[in-house]
Amino acid sequence: MSKLVTIIKDEKQIEDLLEYSDAFIIGVKDLSVNMPIYFEMDEVKKINKKIKENNKELFISLNKNFHTNELPKLKEVLIEIESLNIAGILFYDIGIVNLKQELNLKTNLVWNQEHATTNFATANYWHEHNVNYMILSNEITLNEIEEIKENTNIELMVNILGYTPMFTSERKLISNYKEKFNLNNNNSKYYLHKENNIYHLIEDKNVTTMYSSGILNAYNEYLILKSKINYFILNSFEIDNEIFKKIIISIKNEQTSEEEINKLLVNTTKNFLHKETIYKVKKYDKD
Amino acid sequence: MTKIKKPELLAPAGDLERLKIAIIYGADAVYIGGPSLSLRANARNFTFDEIKEGVEFAHKYNAKVFVTINIILHNKEIKELKEYLKNIEKCNVDAIIVSDPAIIKMAKEYTNLEIHLSTQQSTMNIEACKFFKKEGVKRIVLARETTYEDIKAIRENVNIDIECFIHGAMCSGISGRCVLSNFLTNRDANRGGCSQICRWDFDLLDENKNKIKGDKDFTFCAKDLSMLKYIPEMIDLGITSFKIEGRMRSVYYIATVVNIYRKVIDEYCNNKENYKYNKEYEKVLRNCANRDAVVQFFHHENNVDCSYYNGRVEVSNQDFLGIVLDYNPKTKYATVEQRNYFKIGDEIEIFGPNIDMISQKINSIIDENGNNIEIVRHPKQIVQILTDQPVYKNNIIRKRLT
Repeated sequence: MSKLVTIIKDEKQIEDLLEYSDAFIIGVKDLSVNMPIYFEMDEVKKINKKIKENNKELFISLNKNFHTNELPKLKEVLIEIESLNIAGILFYDIGIVNLKQELNLKTNLVWNQEHATTNFATANYWHEHNVNYMILSNEITLNEIEEIKENTNIELMVNILGYTPMFTSERKLISNYKEKFNLNNNNSKYYLHKENNIYHLIEDKNVTTMYSSGILNAYNEYLILKSKINYFILNSFEIDNEIFKKIIISIKNEQTSEEEINKLLVNTTKNFLHKETIYKVKKYDKD
Repeated sequence: MTKIKKPELLAPAGDLERLKIAIIYGADAVYIGGPSLSLRANARNFTFDEIKEGVEFAHKYNAKVFVTINIILHNKEIKELKEYLKNIEKCNVDAIIVSDPAIIKMAKEYTNLEIHLSTQQSTMNIEACKFFKKEGVKRIVLARETTYEDIKAIRENVNIDIECFIHGAMCSGISGRCVLSNFLTNRDANRGGCSQICRWDFDLLDENKNKIKGDKDFTFCAKDLSMLKYIPEMIDLGITSFKIEGRMRSVYYIATVVNIYRKVIDEYCNNKENYKYNKEYEKVLRNCANRDAVVQFFHHENNVDCSYYNGRVEVSNQDFLGIVLDYNPKTKYATVEQRNYFKIGDEIEIFGPNIDMISQKINSIIDENGNNIEIVRHPKQIVQILTDQPVYKNNIIRKRLT
């Protein structure tokens, strides 16, 4: 039976969703990026305890790109996580795969290179390197997802709800802009606006991230895939807690429709599930 | 006089002409795109025959050719990969540059190609380097965000060749972690379709969705990279290869940038004690690109000065006047192919790998019919100009820099 996985944005949400969400993804301070909230390891341990008591699964995202001076903290956390018996660690930086080998860690790994998880050959490559799960890119089609499933044994995880991070930078782009033009306004939130679209823009200590303008709503695709794929991810970033809860309950019970979910959210999208991206736009004589 | 081992100077080449120019001007190696599967899908790129010709040319100069196969694969590209890799190997190239680990696996299985890991993997720590070394990767192109300390640690802890960018355009995002192009223009950034959304202007809004008004609009745009000042420090770090960005750049750009970095590397490595930073080189590079270039992450200088708020308008470079095709020592006239308008009385500079820079005024121009003319206004027009000193084929003529 397929499982719903929530990316939470506050600790209270776990309590609220324990009954409906089968697993949770959380971030760790300074070792994760593009997460709605980051926890210290002490908090992670408490969360894990609570989740375990309710027979749910916990995934911890350590999806930052690491500079060498961040490796000691990363190693320390990886070793701490080992004793928590969690479901898996999400990684972007390949250094984590090496550390798992060198430190002889047993915790499962989840390949989460966001936009690179696009094909079955690379899925198989990571599976052969003891990676257990793969979160599929939000930039591939439903057909591609099905083809990947047919050609790999790695456990697949598919995003079905939420905003998508489209751009991650180590540059402090909001701070730079404000400094350049002597703007002193401090805001709790920032957005970008272009051609009638509004995008969330977040800058924290580690990265600046821009999110998609639309919220992915792949309920219909979930219905198609749920007999083949085990994990479906819902990201609560910038979605009202009550609305999010309502949606996850309705999905869990399959007592909803895509249209019903659309009514609860502003500006939903299918991303690329039914629209292939192109990359060659010029033609030359020799072609 | 201390002589030091020179790092490789690696230049981009969008086509055969640029490959040859890069090598003639002093590149030790060039990187190019093949017929497909490279991250510059909209550059002209090379056919297999052109790759072979480029490799033959390069090897005559003891230079190397690397082919980028650095897209992030989708299912449909997997089918063509095996055959493609075999065809690339038949071209006798010196290495391939890959990003997707599935290509590493397949290249090892079906070819003997040397494998370099692309910067698209954004590698900047020793653990990731160790992993890819075990996978048979010979060289890693480090992330643009890599710092001095990262490089030093990698050099001290992992026995692997490393390649670092020294000049050219910078992604604003972490390589591989930007799909703005996909979402805003439906063009796949990680398969070579990047439409450079990072150079667009946006309105930055506050929490109430009111515009925050700076003198100019918000943009992600980053200034170019120039490591000119830190080349000695980079050489001392033991970096294997110094990479210039820009497979879409012009012949003039390639010749100028390669020429300057060739000089700096040679000057430092041939006589470290007496090396002095040459401000003139900085001026030449600045004029050539028409974009500001700064040091960025190497010494943690990724601050406001790296952001580029210039709007999208960039004036194309008009400094490149022509390229020398031939020289007649008896008449002292050089045969020149025109690239930008020039005329009698213009102050010019002629530079090349085998001459000291010549500064002179244009005093005489003869057209193809032997007539004296005042102005050369037609693109690629062949004319002869009188030069003060001997020049050579492939020397470049530019406006005198002020």
